[in-house]
Amino acid sequence: MQTLKINGSEREFPAGQMPQTLSSLLDHLDINHATVVAEIDGQVVKRNDFAETKLNPGQSIELVRFVGGG
Amino acid sequence: MPYVFYEMKKAVIGIAGLGGLGSNVATALTRLGAGKLILADFDIIEESNLNRQQYFLDQIGRPKVEATIANLSRISGNTEFVPKQVRLDPQNIPQVFAEADVIAECFDLPDQKQMLIETALAEMDRVIVVSVSGLAGVGKSNSIVTRRINDRHVLIGDGESGVRPGVPLAASRVGVAAYHQANAIAEIIINGMKVPEFGGSDADA
Repeated sequence: MQTLKINGSEREFPAGQMPQTLSSLLDHLDINHATVVAEIDGQVVKRNDFAETKLNPGQSIELVRFVGGG
Repeated sequence: MPYVFYEMKKAVIGIAGLGGLGSNVATALTRLGAGKLILADFDIIEESNLNRQQYFLDQIGRPKVEATIANLSRISGNTEFVPKQVRLDPQNIPQVFAEADVIAECFDLPDQKQMLIETALAEMDRVIVVSVSGLAGVGKSNSIVTRRINDRHVLIGDGESGVRPGVPLAASRVGVAAYHQANAIAEIIINGMKVPEFGGSDADA
């Protein structure tokens, strides 16, 4: 098993099935890339870098999703 | 002369968008005695804005930045207003808000919210962002909460109520969110530019 901590909760993936990049994690969670602010271990990752940002087991990922209205 | 928080007088706050959130946040911060507000918006006032935004019938067609300053100048002479008639983008955000201690994210569209927050957090050194997600409809006042994401990001709202058919933006609930936003900004400033835990009692502050 490999784990990622997503918004404070541990999430387990069978070996070899953990998403490799931030972009594939967002797709796995069905999250729209255009409306989420993503942080890995406290560092914000810009949307243009989602696809090339590799994930490592044990990382803490914060995904803040936005809906419209203001 | 009303009581003024000394820390507020020294504070510079950027307001990104002067719609339902921004026009109300700017009003509250002016009444709180903020030292300087950087007011950024590209838009003009339309009649449809008046159901929730702090403008008047005789201001329809005027730029929101200009009308906001006209209105706030009638509230207080103690706040400096910096007009920024501009469409904010990743290139200009760091310059427009270079002086700001805190930025209020007051946009309407979710991809614009995302753009502002990632730019401010990734491209600016110290600024704190207070953002909003989930405020459409009426009622459910107590589902709107203020939450610390990290030491530079605060999120307000219920996290899920987007605008959709039958669930419009309304003055009362947008106002709840806007005043959460202004209240969080005041708390951060009075707390010495540190983001607190936003607990429910004084003991948590």
